[in-house]
Amino acid sequence: MTARRGRGATTRRPAPPFPVLAAFLVPALVLYSVFVVYPLFSALQYSLFEWTGTVRRSFVGADNFVALFTTFPLDEQLLSAFGHNVVFFLGTMLIQNTLGLTFAVLLYKRHITRRVFQTLFTLPYLVSPLVVGYLWVLMLRPQFGVLNAMFDAVGLESMSQPWLGDPGTALPVVILINAWQWLGFPMLLFGAALASIPEEYEAAARVDGASTWQAFSRITLPLLTPAIGTVTVLTFIGSFNLFALAYAVGGSKGDPAGAIDVLGLVFYRTAFEGGVNAIGVSSALAVLMFVFIFGVALVANRFLRRREAELS
Amino acid sequence: MLTRSKLGIVTLGLGVALLAACAPSTDASGGGEGEGTTIEVWSWRTEDVDEYEKIFDAYEAEHEGVTVEFKPYVATEYDTILSTGLSAEGGPDVAQLRAYGGLQPLCEAGRLVELEGEDVDTSAIPDEVLGGARCESDGGLYGVPFASQALVVYYNKAIFEENGLQEPETWDELMASSQTLQDAGVTPYAVTGKDNWVLPMLHDLFTAPRYGGPEFEQAVQSGEKDFTDPDYVASIETMEEITPYFPEDVVGVDYATAQTLFTSERAAMYPGGSFELAFFQQQNPDLDLGVFAVPPPPGAVVEESMTPGWVDASFGVNSTSPDQEESLELVRWMATQDFGQMVSDELKQLNPVEGVTPNDPVLQEISQLRTDSPTPYLLLQDFRYGEPTGTDLMAAGLQSMLLGDADADAISADLQKGIAQWFEPGA
Amino acid sequence: MTTLAPTRPAPTSSPPTPSRRASGSWRGIAVLMLLAGYAVVAVGPLLFMLINSFRPSADIFNDPLGLPTELYFGNYVEAWREARFATYFSNSVMVVVAGVALCTVVSALAAYPLARYDFRGNGVLTAYFIAGLTLPIELAVVPIFYLLGSFGMVDSRLGLVLVYAATGIPFSVFIMAAFFRGLPRDLEEAARLDGAGEFRIFAQVMLPLVKPALATVAIFQFVQLWNDFFFPLVLLRTTEKYTLPVGLTNFFGEYQTDWGAVFAGLVITTAPLVFLFLFLTRQIVSGLVGGMGK
Repeated sequence: MTARRGRGATTRRPAPPFPVLAAFLVPALVLYSVFVVYPLFSALQYSLFEWTGTVRRSFVGADNFVALFTTFPLDEQLLSAFGHNVVFFLGTMLIQNTLGLTFAVLLYKRHITRRVFQTLFTLPYLVSPLVVGYLWVLMLRPQFGVLNAMFDAVGLESMSQPWLGDPGTALPVVILINAWQWLGFPMLLFGAALASIPEEYEAAARVDGASTWQAFSRITLPLLTPAIGTVTVLTFIGSFNLFALAYAVGGSKGDPAGAIDVLGLVFYRTAFEGGVNAIGVSSALAVLMFVFIFGVALVANRFLRRREAELS
Repeated sequence: MLTRSKLGIVTLGLGVALLAACAPSTDASGGGEGEGTTIEVWSWRTEDVDEYEKIFDAYEAEHEGVTVEFKPYVATEYDTILSTGLSAEGGPDVAQLRAYGGLQPLCEAGRLVELEGEDVDTSAIPDEVLGGARCESDGGLYGVPFASQALVVYYNKAIFEENGLQEPETWDELMASSQTLQDAGVTPYAVTGKDNWVLPMLHDLFTAPRYGGPEFEQAVQSGEKDFTDPDYVASIETMEEITPYFPEDVVGVDYATAQTLFTSERAAMYPGGSFELAFFQQQNPDLDLGVFAVPPPPGAVVEESMTPGWVDASFGVNSTSPDQEESLELVRWMATQDFGQMVSDELKQLNPVEGVTPNDPVLQEISQLRTDSPTPYLLLQDFRYGEPTGTDLMAAGLQSMLLGDADADAISADLQKGIAQWFEPGA
Repeated sequence: MTTLAPTRPAPTSSPPTPSRRASGSWRGIAVLMLLAGYAVVAVGPLLFMLINSFRPSADIFNDPLGLPTELYFGNYVEAWREARFATYFSNSVMVVVAGVALCTVVSALAAYPLARYDFRGNGVLTAYFIAGLTLPIELAVVPIFYLLGSFGMVDSRLGLVLVYAATGIPFSVFIMAAFFRGLPRDLEEAARLDGAGEFRIFAQVMLPLVKPALATVAIFQFVQLWNDFFFPLVLLRTTEKYTLPVGLTNFFGEYQTDWGAVFAGLVITTAPLVFLFLFLTRQIVSGLVGGMGK
């Protein structure tokens, strides 16, 4: 690899004078702190109290948290939901993001058809996740669905399954539906990242005798690390916050038989279908989810920055 | 140039925002000086907008100067919207309320007006029905119930005739009829296994006599029996006799599909609630349907068929409404036969007010079945006051049964275990 | 890229050599087929939606593979008139454009120093912004409701705009910072030597280089906000102020859904996004060309 002197992505300049720095940062800080941080903080702090409806009662410390892990069947659901989120994350990385990268690479060299394909592939993203879920449920119905009708029409009856009704296939199918919807996101991100890598680099390597694959994997891919890292972290967060699609497909219980129950649905149930102390218990779950997701995302971000530095 | 266009966008954005801010924000409810009062009624029934307009037109005709505005919100978000609405300004004057356990968060938070103390005459409504609108903590009445539901088996008369069948009088006849239908290639029952909230309803519908209906309710309430009682377990086991006649891959069949199976005449029977009648009639007006109550299963504690039912919704008054007197007037009217009859005729719902007779013959029949031999839909009525609810536990359990993952003993054990965490018998 | 030190002179950007093209043409066709194949998968369900928006609801259910026997416009009429789509449409435009504009501007401003300057608190601030990403904002709907109430902004579209802009900040800062980080030093140094102040460097040198990122962020924010039905439902009260997705929820009844109307409503709701998307991706392309042509 040629030396990357002067690219110095991690060595930064000492800061400009404070007023200038503040001018850059303050608008976002204020807007964000007032309308996002403060309410979220309040919501988290709700977890320490007991509630009757929307009226706050006494301080109960960790009681709500304990309830999460000791109430039957909530405790079992929590664990299985967490497992589903993990599977979902891995499945999405495997399918959605590798496909997204593949398409981004295949497309960025084309100039004429690129925008056509980009638009077509990203179109599903433009529909609300809730509706995507409902649409696919409609299409995958065993009796009246389009997909099974198509399979039957071409003689592939064995493929005519209750895809979303079988606890064994429901989660993988949801991963696929999600990938279908969000493919545009990693594809565009990678596309934008690829767009800022000058073509000379790979071309230079090829002139040196490298094959296309070698040129790609040794030169372009490492340069995509910031983008890959970003996509991974965002996928992780999205996978653990998943709600709308799971809700649309499986209802608030993640049917069939809780096969697609995820933490987001558990939160929804405890918050909006819970009993009198719904706010207390659901806020406790929110705190735990936050600590977990934020913790992992932070560590991942640090790790990725360090790798970026190493590669530069 | 980039900076200029960036600036352009920013100005545009902020300008638009400013415009939005300058648009007057009208306050949504009340405002009843001079010209007359507007009462805002919130509900989760987005499909009933036209019918309610008709109903409230009648009220407005008799009450000069009052306009009633019906505002439905999508059912899945209604509870959140209502609880935030009741706790700040811009909320409803009158609101549709969930019954039994679903009412408690609102009444315990003091958001609703206690009606018996405000001279709302509910004498035409039976006491057990009023129970659905009472607050557990103080026993006060916080809503006027206006819609009840009952569970029956709908059946397609044409298909029955084609197969030489009649309304079954005994359990064996019911099973034989189901078998005949299945052999003829017709799905006997249109049932959803995916939207499992329906399953506990089916359990009570088919097997309530097996565990003893209302007497069992009393026994559980007093602590004499619980859900591991042998008769109750046996009633769950009885479901296994029926499940072979459910649609194939029933766990993949969702609620809307089950309904369509029936309305498109691919299934002969539909075990369900009175709330589904209006939809069936609208989807397929040519469908000739009848209803019957399920005959008691073998070994039944009570040897007669029973029709489970419950109170579904009531209307209550927001304690911070600026138009409380007019709102109370409206709610008083909702406890009368005039309103009740319109609910029955327009909304095709069972109304509990005395003297209301449905003019729809099927609804009439359902109402009659319910009067003849009522039993509570036990888990909904009595076991939603805490978490986890009885209906959720039974729904999950029966769904597992459909998948072959659980048997009657396991299901009742889980049900008992879950409920024991919050239920205090004898309370 | 003058400070780069390759071991041989970098060739100018050139089309693939003829030999590559010959063997590459088979691969080219295979690639094309793959792309086209996935395009069918991507677009199929949406076409299904479009076709069915012209059929009455009952038909959609009973005969899923059927084509419209005639073009039934009833769904569109229902959506536009009864669900007041005209009003909701203008509200959506107002609220979302304002929200995205505000969010993108303040986020670009904040991301720049976080990505390119060393200063005390940089790490903390970055973590502070990322934290917002990790929690779905729906959790905080009740406190937000009370917060807006204390500003007198319940049932106010301005309140909604501010909430929307604020909720988009973590994502936008995160993405923009990643792109800013990847920009080379040399141009910046050159401009600084010329005597430009920090803000001018930001606005006239660095910002143009991340146009693809700006457009990407704007698209994602726009789509998310355009499709949001939760916040307007809870924070707005007057029907006249509602946005399009709220209008859609009217078709979801307690027990049954009016599919024909939902599909028609969806087509109306999604069409502007398609046009916006086409417009913004053109920005990405032009940004790419501009960036390369130094």
